[in-house]
Amino acid sequence: MLYKNIFCLYLLLVAPVTYVLPRQFSHTNERKKWIVSENSSLRVNGSTNVNQFTCDILAYERTDTLTVNQGKSDKEIILSGSISINIQSFNCHNGMMTRDLRKTLKEKQFPMLHIAFLSLNNLPELTVQPEPVTGMVDIEIAGVHKRFEVRYKISADEQKVIHLLGTRYINFSDFNLIAPKKLGGMIQTKDKLSVDFHLKIKSINY
Amino acid sequence: MKKILISGLIAGCILFVFSYGGLFLAIRFFPKLFTEYNNPLFNSDGSRDMLFYLHAFIFSFALSWFWDRFKGLFKGAFFLRGLEFGLVYSIIALLPVMWISFSALDITVAMVLSWFIYGVLQAITAGVVFAKVNP
Repeated sequence: MLYKNIFCLYLLLVAPVTYVLPRQFSHTNERKKWIVSENSSLRVNGSTNVNQFTCDILAYERTDTLTVNQGKSDKEIILSGSISINIQSFNCHNGMMTRDLRKTLKEKQFPMLHIAFLSLNNLPELTVQPEPVTGMVDIEIAGVHKRFEVRYKISADEQKVIHLLGTRYINFSDFNLIAPKKLGGMIQTKDKLSVDFHLKIKSINY
Repeated sequence: MKKILISGLIAGCILFVFSYGGLFLAIRFFPKLFTEYNNPLFNSDGSRDMLFYLHAFIFSFALSWFWDRFKGLFKGAFFLRGLEFGLVYSIIALLPVMWISFSALDITVAMVLSWFIYGVLQAITAGVVFAKVNP
């Protein structure tokens, strides 16, 4: 009877520590590199009092690398690395609007927009089913940095490509930019923009 | 001189209400016509808003002086005198300006036509006011 009780106690207390936790740690302790592939995309949606507009970059021109590390807590993931976006790549599907957006973002002075990935609150098992995660990013537009929390959906397809879909509302005023207004303010672009991005990532262990 | 200033001021106030009121209503009810103004060609930082809204007065004072110099050439009832004055101004000043604007700037035919019609209506309104106030 005593042996049976001791065995039960062992199963309850010791076994989880010896078998389960090391598995978690070994999973999260791996340092990984995420290669952001060229066919990632970014979309900015906004509106004026006369129309709505969508400006997008359907094919990211570069290949950038993010480093994925275990954070202080079990779940937290620290990211380092950034993606850099050429303002000239934005296409608003209307030549005048495209030029207007570039001017508003001070493209001549600041030709690149940077998004630095800082953390994820969690990195679930990656499956075809998208899982919600949140993370911090640092966005730099027109020379002004601003930190935001971004809601993501993360999944992986059959080719093991990780899909990170992020969405976030930002304001022109967050970056000391003035939302364009025309004809004495009668045509006014709203300050709020919705930014959606879809990063296609290949993971490499090292 | 006093008549020029007074008729210019009256016409300026009337045009201010009609022009910007009309523009406001047109943007509200026909927004699609104004999507092309999202163009870097147009000032977008608000630094020239005051100049934009002063246009009705600049236009009225200039036309008031022009009316005072040439009003003897326009005959008939006050409305016809104002109408003819507006059309004369539109042909000798507005049309060439619109022509050169379209040829030199990245703007559409619809935009230039709307400016021309807007200018003609403003000039006729101002002409009718001058014919009444400073016959």
